[in-house]
Amino acid sequence: MDVLDQLGAVRERKLSRRRFAKGLLAAGVAMTTMPLPARRAMAAEGDQATYFTWGGYDIPELFKPYQAKNGALPNFAIFGGSEEALTKMRGGFVVDVSHPCNQSMPRWVQTGLFQPIDTSRVSNWGDVIPELVDLPGNDAEGGKVWMAPFDWGQTSVTYRTDLFELEGEETWDMLWDARYAGQLGSLASGGDAWWCGAIKAGVDFDDIDSEEAFEKIAAVMREQRPLIRVYTDDTTTLEQALAAGEMVASMTWNSSAVLLQAEGVPVKFAKPKEGALTWVCGVMIHKDAPNLDRAYDVIDSLLSVETGHFMINDWGYGHSNRKSFDAFDEETLAGLGLSTQPVEILQAGHFQQPQTQEWETRMNELFEQIKAGF
Amino acid sequence: MAETSLSKSRTARGAPRAFGARLTRYLRRSETARGYLLMSPTLLIMTIGIVVPFIILLVISMWTRQGFSFDTTLTLANYARAWNEPIYGALLARSFWISGVATVATVALCYPMAYYVAFHVHRNKMMWLILMTLPFWTSYLLRVFAWKVILGYEGVINSGLSAVGLIDAPLAFLLYSPSAVIITLAHAWAAFAILPLYVSLEKIDKSLLEAATDLGDGPVARFLRITLPLSMPGIIAASFLIFIPTTGDYITPALLGGPDGAMIGNLIQVQFGAVNNWPMGATLSIVLMLWIAALALAFLLVTCKVQERIA
Repeated sequence: MDVLDQLGAVRERKLSRRRFAKGLLAAGVAMTTMPLPARRAMAAEGDQATYFTWGGYDIPELFKPYQAKNGALPNFAIFGGSEEALTKMRGGFVVDVSHPCNQSMPRWVQTGLFQPIDTSRVSNWGDVIPELVDLPGNDAEGGKVWMAPFDWGQTSVTYRTDLFELEGEETWDMLWDARYAGQLGSLASGGDAWWCGAIKAGVDFDDIDSEEAFEKIAAVMREQRPLIRVYTDDTTTLEQALAAGEMVASMTWNSSAVLLQAEGVPVKFAKPKEGALTWVCGVMIHKDAPNLDRAYDVIDSLLSVETGHFMINDWGYGHSNRKSFDAFDEETLAGLGLSTQPVEILQAGHFQQPQTQEWETRMNELFEQIKAGF
Repeated sequence: MAETSLSKSRTARGAPRAFGARLTRYLRRSETARGYLLMSPTLLIMTIGIVVPFIILLVISMWTRQGFSFDTTLTLANYARAWNEPIYGALLARSFWISGVATVATVALCYPMAYYVAFHVHRNKMMWLILMTLPFWTSYLLRVFAWKVILGYEGVINSGLSAVGLIDAPLAFLLYSPSAVIITLAHAWAAFAILPLYVSLEKIDKSLLEAATDLGDGPVARFLRITLPLSMPGIIAASFLIFIPTTGDYITPALLGGPDGAMIGNLIQVQFGAVNNWPMGATLSIVLMLWIAALALAFLLVTCKVQERIA
């Protein structure tokens, strides 16, 4: 059986084919049975809440109070941009809690896919900074809110202080610097990149929904495209590229710079002279949330002081719980680009504004074309 | 009274039995019915899994986007857009180019391996084949990520080359480029080339080779006149198996392609994601399908013609 006579006839071939079929069968059995334990493990966690969030927020550090109460982490689902998330949920994906930002919140509300949050069920609500709740479109009837604010921060340029030769002040022009063609990175989602393009092009956010604004921003984005090594929504990719020196500067959120600094990589989160892009993100509850009680546990956990400490200390984001800041002195906060007065920071930069669905779709379509080289 | 009800129930019980017998008889007699019965599980799966979704895709492709919902009047507007706007044609052409090169590379690289196992391995052929396809037992995604590590800026190739002293700075073009996509596809789909090539080479009657040698053919002429033409079915099958799925590949260009390596699959994905234009995504999928079908037919015709000429 082992010795196959090459010039032999059908018999050997038959045998080898049968053995081949046996091998295939074994592989097939192995493949179908292997995922079984994994599936069972998933089923056990089925009664936890599902949190649909940005990549990177699916970590236990944010859910210690939740874990203490429910004995397990919530289930996670990940998106790269909030428009992608909305499309998925409109396609029928039901979650308990999701994580949009102030700019898209009114549009999310309009879809009718979400229920107002009963703030009396959130034990940490009393400590939430009121200015972050008081956002355009965030008032549901009966004193309820649509979105419970969770994190706030900036989108700006993280650059290698040793590799990027700064000419004068820190500016958005750093990401358009032809000296570093092929060594610059950008977030792929238009929800960040397009707005940063608007700052670079000098378009006021009040006028961002105009023909002229579209033309101006598209022009700067097209100018930038050949310089970009990769557009990605995966912050880890950008962080690794910056750490390796593959990129010398990239558009990132606060967390990338803070994480890299903690690793000892010489990077800085720029304070561009034109102002950074600022945003507030929060959590909303799906109207058909299957685990409503646990959904409130997710919100409570995210708004807790414990989570706030992690957000500020490890990621450099602002948190919505006033008490989270107590553990940090003014100097540390200033170094992170934060303050206990979020409005100051948010207004010092360019604060994202809600836009119509038409604008959002048109912007995304155009930006995708530009990224593809058109 | 009791008697009649008894007889009634007897006939009632008898009727299905008679019907069943008639059905069995019909099925035994009619060959067509038997054939369809045998095929029915496959037919059912094909209908549910392929025909119905295809019809849904076709219908959606003729809708248009209207804000968040769809305008369900049937129109060919999306097809007109796909034809007129240069981005779609360019990405299609790039996809065909990338996957064409990957297909040629894969078949060319796998042919010698399959040849070796078919002609020069005499013991444990099965083990050889399993060893060759062993890397493909891991997930596709994992293999793509592995290539990211190999081709990366501080990856295996770059650090190897700089350790040897061949390069000063890492080669940036290895990752985030069309060539990265081609390299990865050529490796990731190798198993789909090795197996059909092996089967067709293994089937070649070795006495033909002996005859060719007896009649004075050298090894090269023998290969070109006997082995290559007879293994053509394997080459064609391998090319199809690789070309068709790689053209629409999404994850490889998404992870390794960078801005210049994006393919039509990525464009289709954003239609269903951020751009939120499902009808356009459906249109592009159908256009892609039609193009692949046309190219496959052309390829088949050419190879048939070539084979006729050889034979």
